[in-house]
Parts: sequence; C-alpha cells; structure tokens
Amino acid sequence: MTSVTEPVLLGPYNEQVRGLFQNPRHAGDAAAGNGRRYEARASEATAGAQILLIAGVTEGILAALRFRVFGCPHLIAAAEATCERFEGGAVNKLQEFSVSDLMETLGVPVEKMGRILLLEDAIQALLSQVDGKAINRN
Amino acid sequence: MKTAHGSSPVYLDHAATTPIDPAVAVAMSACFAARADYGNASSNHIVGRRARAAIDTARQELGLLLNAQPQDLIWTSGATESVNLAIIGAARFRAHRGRHLITMTTEHKAVAESFDALEKEGFEVTRLSPGVDGILPLSDLEAAMRDQTQLVSIMHVNNETGVIQDIEAIGTLCRSRDVLFHTDAAQSVGKLHIDLEALPVDLLSLTAHKFRGPQGIGALYMANRPGCRVAPLLHGGGQERRLRPGTSALHQIIGIGVAARLAQNRLAENLSHVTTLQARLWRGLNGVSGITRNGCAESHYPGILNISAEGVEGESLMLALEPLCVASGSACNAQSGEPSFVLKALGRTDLEAQSAIRFSYGPETSRSDIDLAVKLYRSAVSRLRTIAPDAAA
Repeated sequence: MTSVTEPVLLGPYNEQVRGLFQNPRHAGDAAAGNGRRYEARASEATAGAQILLIAGVTEGILAALRFRVFGCPHLIAAAEATCERFEGGAVNKLQEFSVSDLMETLGVPVEKMGRILLLEDAIQALLSQVDGKAINRN
Repeated sequence: MKTAHGSSPVYLDHAATTPIDPAVAVAMSACFAARADYGNASSNHIVGRRARAAIDTARQELGLLLNAQPQDLIWTSGATESVNLAIIGAARFRAHRGRHLITMTTEHKAVAESFDALEKEGFEVTRLSPGVDGILPLSDLEAAMRDQTQLVSIMHVNNETGVIQDIEAIGTLCRSRDVLFHTDAAQSVGKLHIDLEALPVDLLSLTAHKFRGPQGIGALYMANRPGCRVAPLLHGGGQERRLRPGTSALHQIIGIGVAARLAQNRLAENLSHVTTLQARLWRGLNGVSGITRNGCAESHYPGILNISAEGVEGESLMLALEPLCVASGSACNAQSGEPSFVLKALGRTDLEAQSAIRFSYGPETSRSDIDLAVKLYRSAVSRLRTIAPDAAA
C-alpha cells in the first residue's frame, strides 16, 4: 500500500520535477559550432511566464536545444525534459512533443496547462522557423 | 524530520505558527496523565473545580501578559474565531445605533471576510488603503468616520510585512467618537509589549500558537466599559460569560497560560534577539540587486522581513530555497498562487508580489539559520535569474 503521506511531503512537485528543476543541464544558450542558430519565444501575459528556446541545427539535426525560462518549477522542468529528450535527434522529431504526455509524466496540475502550452507554442515557433512544419496538438 | 531532499528543514515561518515551547508541552501533557486535572470546568465536584482553578490560573497568566483584567478575556479556538466574534458580534450588538464599519485593505482574511459577511447583512463597510509603507494615515481614518460608524478594526502587526499600526492613536480617535476599536493582535501578543490598561483598545484578538503555545486556542479581550459588548455567535452552555459557550479545552487553556507566562518573562530578550537576527538577515540580503523591502522599516516588528526580487518567479524561488521553510508572496493564499492582496495594496505589481518571500523567525532561530537563509537566497536568486530570458520581468 502506498503511503498517503509521501505525496503530501513532496508538495506539488514529484521527484522528476524536483530533479529537473534542481539540475537543468539544458538551461542557457546553444554554444557556437552547433550549426545554424534559431530562437523561439513564447510568453503568458497574466502570470508573466516566458520561455525562450534556442536551437543549433545542422543537417536537420538538433545539435543543441537549450532553453531559458521565467516561470514556475513545472515549466522549468518541462523545458529541461523536452530539451533532454529532443537534443541530438532530428528536428522533425519535435512534432512528437505532447502536452498531455509531458503533463502526465511530470504530474503537472491541470490548472497549469497554460504554462506547458507555452512550451508547445515555442516549439511550434521553432519548427516553423526551421522548416515550416507544425506539430499536431493532442 | 527531513525535507523532500533529505535535509533538515530550517524553520523561518514563525508568522505562520511557532514551535511549541517544551515547557508548554510538558504542562499540557500533564493533563493527560493519570489522576491529573481532566475535569469539566463547569462541573461542581472537586475534579471540575480543579479544572476551573487551572483555567483561572491561565486567565491570570494571559491577563498579566496583556496587563488586562482576567475576567475580560474570553477563550476561543484561536484568532480567527476571536476576530469573527469581535467584529460580527460587536456590529450586531450595536446595529441599532448605526451600521457603518471601517477596516483596512491589508487585514488578515479572517477580518476581511468577517466584514464581507456583515455586508451581506446590510452593514456598510469602508475599507481604507495604507500608504506604500503599509501604514494607515490617521487622517484617512478620521475622514472616513461618520455619525453612524460603530466599529473600527485595524490590525496591530501585519502578518505579511510586520508593519505596526499606531493602535494607541487609532484607539484614541475611536474613543473620542464613541466608536468601538478592535485590533487583530495575533502577530504581536507575546512579542511586543502590550498594556491594555493603558491602550484605548476595546476588543483584541489573539492566538496562542503565534507565541509558542498550542494551536487551537486563543482569546478575545473585551474591555469592561459601557457599550463594549458583543453578541455571541455560538449558543449552548453558559461558558465564557455566555459569549462563547462550549466545554473549556482544559489542556489547551493550560498551554496558552504557560506560553503567556513564558512570553512575558522573555519578551525583552526575545525582541532583542529577533532584532539582531533581522539586522543580520537584511545586511546579508540588501546587497542583492533588484531587492525591495516590503513594508515600513521604521514602524515594524523585527521578527518579520518581507522582500521582493526583480526577475525572479516566486514559486520557483520557494522551491529553490528548500530546505528553508518560508512563506511566499501569496502567504495566506499558499494554495491559490494568487499574488498577495496585502502587497498589492502597498503598490506592488503582480510579479513583485509573487516574488516576495516572508522570513519570520523567533527565539530558537540561530545566527547560523539566518546565515544559511542569506546564502540560499542569494544563490537561488542568482540561479533563477541566470535561467530567465534577458527580457524577463
């Protein structure tokens, strides 16, 4: 039987969110030498949240995918998880980004969906800059 | 006790609640021991009379802390109940004389929502805003008073900023207009010197757990003077002068009594200690760029320091500060995430209010706790600003 106290002690952040928040290895800029540089920004006026995605693309590959975030721990963790997942892969793979999957993995409360949609907006903007492709919302 | 990361928490949230004093815990525990004072204070046999005697002792101890007559103190479940009884009870009792009431926009929700409830009963409420320093200009209060005004409720020490209102001047003004004055003193009792024989305060709300007593017990002081009376909110037995019926919570009342005695004995020492800690904390944080101190540095309880930081998101700051136990800019809305209405009333933007952190500390807080807080705060702010886009905030 799962102890009911554990989720309470963790608060609104699960272990994965805590880990990604404490150690966001992809926070910062894409270093030179990672191909052509792209930037995509999305922001939410009401809560003041902002996300900036920075990609270095060479021959259709995301040689570097980095982020900067002004926002809550869930948004920082989501950005880090996304960069971790897609960096090193084909740009087209970004189309597999799923708000619902990420929210489930990170245990993001539904009232924060708007924050994760910001990340999707930034990815969409990035994709449209790189090759005009868009991701499917699900 | 460990945090989610396994480190021991450093408790800097004394404005929310204080750790119970070991001597209080011992006194309360004795109630549960065999052959102890377990009686119902309303019973007339020896066990009941012993309970009554213990309750009388506690009332005397709290009376000594406040320099108030013990019989003017009514036990409640805490400050929220005291506030409700004072405000709603006094407004209803005096409704035949007038239905205009005055309060402030920076009051605790217990006060604010008591007035909201009275508005639904047809009372008219004026809510005054403080200056940017959190202080209520006395001239604004004077200008708001009418012939119909029956009650003014202004808190003593603000729970978020530590700002101290001049309750002596406010009370004097109220007395001159035959208006009752209630103050929510949850954050000041046991921490600042309060002399109710000298202060023109009619009603004062307090709770034990803010001065190292148990949770779940508080009191309402009601001055013994003509026209100062409340209508009860609860009905049942005749306890507490029929104003707050119900079996007296013996162990908790013993706890508040001991906590009051200890607070009185250590008041000067504790105040000096938190003053030193605040100076140390502010000295450590003041050098961080983009820092704003919320409240008034001159009229201020030194056990609370509230600061905002530019370019930092409050929720992330709170998590980055673990294992510090502090309160955010949504202090009384910790679950809602809404920016603090108190800080908004002081002119802070949503982002400034959301970035606010309230440090509050007490007698058992050490210098090394404060030094750790400084170190963690500086590091967290720096890290979050590094992560943020250049144009953020």
